[in-house]
Amino acid sequence: MEITDLKEKLKVQIIQFLNLTDLTPADIKDDEPLFGDGLGLDSIDSLELIVLLKREYGINIQDPKEGRKVLIDINTMAAYIQQHAQK
Amino acid sequence: MSFYIHKTTCISPQQTFGDNIDIEQLRPSVDNKLYAVEPAYPQFKGNALRRMSKSTRIGSGAALPLLAGAPQPDGIIIGTQVSGMEENSKFLNQIIEYNEDMLTPGSFVQGTPNTISSQIALISNNKNYNITHVHRGLAFENAVIDVAMLVNESPQNTYLLGGVDEISLNNYTLDTLAGWFKKEDCSNNNLYSSATDGSLSGEGAAMFIVSGDKQGALAQLKAITTIHSTDAEVVENRIKTFLQNNLPEGEKIDLLLSGENGDRRSTHFYKNCEALQGSYTTIARFKHLCGEYPTASSFALWLACNFIGGALELPHHMLKKAGTAIGLKNILIYNTHKIGQHSCMLLSVVS
Amino acid sequence: MGVISAIGLSVAENHAALVTGKTGIIKGGGNFPSRYAGLLPFGEVLIGTEELKTRLGVTESGITRTTLLALHAFKEAIGDAQLTDEQLTAGDTALIGATTVGGMCLTDELYANTHGDTENIEYVKSFDYASVNLYLQKRYHITGVVNTMNTACSSSANAIMYGCRLIKNGLANRVIVGGADSLAKFTVNGFNALRILSDEACAPFDQNRKGLNLGEGAAFLVLEKEADVKGKKMYACLSGYGNANDAYHPSSLSPEGDGPYLAMKNALSNAKLNPADIDFINAHGTGTENNDEVESRAMLSLFGTLPNFASTKGFTGHTLGAASAIEAVYSILNIDKQELYPNLNFGQPIADTGLEPVITYKASAIKHVMSNSFGFGGNCTSLIFSKA
Repeated sequence: MEITDLKEKLKVQIIQFLNLTDLTPADIKDDEPLFGDGLGLDSIDSLELIVLLKREYGINIQDPKEGRKVLIDINTMAAYIQQHAQK
Repeated sequence: MSFYIHKTTCISPQQTFGDNIDIEQLRPSVDNKLYAVEPAYPQFKGNALRRMSKSTRIGSGAALPLLAGAPQPDGIIIGTQVSGMEENSKFLNQIIEYNEDMLTPGSFVQGTPNTISSQIALISNNKNYNITHVHRGLAFENAVIDVAMLVNESPQNTYLLGGVDEISLNNYTLDTLAGWFKKEDCSNNNLYSSATDGSLSGEGAAMFIVSGDKQGALAQLKAITTIHSTDAEVVENRIKTFLQNNLPEGEKIDLLLSGENGDRRSTHFYKNCEALQGSYTTIARFKHLCGEYPTASSFALWLACNFIGGALELPHHMLKKAGTAIGLKNILIYNTHKIGQHSCMLLSVVS
Repeated sequence: MGVISAIGLSVAENHAALVTGKTGIIKGGGNFPSRYAGLLPFGEVLIGTEELKTRLGVTESGITRTTLLALHAFKEAIGDAQLTDEQLTAGDTALIGATTVGGMCLTDELYANTHGDTENIEYVKSFDYASVNLYLQKRYHITGVVNTMNTACSSSANAIMYGCRLIKNGLANRVIVGGADSLAKFTVNGFNALRILSDEACAPFDQNRKGLNLGEGAAFLVLEKEADVKGKKMYACLSGYGNANDAYHPSSLSPEGDGPYLAMKNALSNAKLNPADIDFINAHGTGTENNDEVESRAMLSLFGTLPNFASTKGFTGHTLGAASAIEAVYSILNIDKQELYPNLNFGQPIADTGLEPVITYKASAIKHVMSNSFGFGGNCTSLIFSKA
């Protein structure tokens, strides 16, 4: 999948998975931080996103600290998925 | 032991919240359920709302307006049977559907029953006493007992007291299997003419600001008792003793708010309680407004506060029997949940 | 007092294990039916559910494992306190219990019932938290105040506190207080999803701790007024309690530990004691990164120089709604036997705080013990037990 398509798909999945009902994919910029000042996600969301990666892309991240390196923004997530996706 | 109620709010299946409270116009049940009318929640900023269970939403949504612009309450005391049962069910279902592999923690965290009291604390930054009572049909009553003790211990303090429960697919299904909800179609406007087992399912959140200070109070919660029995005679005697011990000499119950719920198996408990009152007492029912749920007595207490404070008139659809009472000085709320758990609360005008 | 846990089926058995430092945490070899059974360590009570029913003479349908554990400890407690049938059924006897699992241990059964199985409905009346105490109340015909509390991991500390306040406020003359939780897929998967379960035996207050182990069990205590217990064994006095909310996050504690600090401080002022009066702290000490560090900081800011402290989670695992009640029994044993039990699996202090718990069994003069419990939702409660 092209990286731009992947990013779009990922945004839709994140909105759905985390129930971010007041957002549309267009509201999430590729380089906007997911945590802290950007989207304002928290530690429970990061665990939810790790489950999203497992269920949708077959990616196993065992150590939540490893997850923090991947879950910086849409760019880093998409790049990681391209490299590691099992499905 | 008693306390004074100063302010109260309620999110229920009727129009009971906000500026246009209207209980004259009865909102109908849908598929044997009475769902809460949820307002917009301007207080929940950013991410607060999206992971909240319905219980937490309606509980915090009803509580926060009471806290706005007022000093922090010295405690938050909530009664709920299971609180976020829907979130709980989502998590339980995931366990089976994903065979215990890599589950999402959000619904586990939001499903624990103390989420209501702790979310209110979190949003209002309240680090004081914080507790959740979950004793099914007496969860709210135990919260009331807790608050009565707190006020007795520290009469100058103020507390937030609440009762909250939600309809979830899981508890509706389980309680229907257990025989507590009607299997045939039934509408809330003819609930009391039903002659079958079970009631209609309901939900709601009622919140109260209480203290030992009678200045400016809406009403006084004068006494409460809880009864655990399936024996009608035992229950009747306990109600009789409760009234003897707590009604001042020469006073009678002006209004009985009866928890009658259309379940033919519990009707005789309510009839016995009515029979204790005589022709003086007006008898009214409330379950066709809120449906049956474990903390429904908190909805009745909200009604009673509004009636006794004069904010609302008793609507005709609630009336079972008009008594000769003219004023409204003492209201008795009698409720039974799943037949074995009963409670009486006596609410009186501030003297 | 009555207790059942991974380290024993009675107060005497629990005491023997505490003295000898024998843990109840095992990895594999138990009866708990979860895919994690051989992968993660648990503090399991090694008696099957059916066997428990037989031993306790429970023949009714719809009784959960949580209820059976509660009944086991309840029976021991009322026997130890020599409560008569008349006392149990009297209107001034209250039963206050706590649980965080309750009937939710029936994950598979409830799933079946909510997904089309309308035939096998034995457990549909038992899915909530109250089902545990409702059973005890019916079985023993208790007529006084009956309550169930759930504030996550501090639940049974709040049950003990509520019971004591019922007596102080004249709403009861004796109360039976405690808590119970069984190992459940519900909690195991919940804590696992939060990534706070260790795959090794938990190591509270150790720099390299990896998380907590879940356990199961129950404990009940009988509280009576001093004037009413003439001629009976008096183990200790509940001299203070404090409850506070951390108001920080749904599932983790604030960095400075405001909630834990306030709970401990409120308990001291309720007991009219100074920090220096406390001889020992039974810490919450779950073995998670967050809890142990925050609890250490809160203890340091309140006490300055800490008294002896230890966590018993290395013996039993974290028994959630039962934890505070079980640890109340252990705190009372500290006082009754004048001895301290080790914090198991401790090697190296946490770098930031440098605190070292008690790591060997030892005799010690103990007058006041503080017992801490902190839970999800920021619900924090501390109790203080004193020599009677």
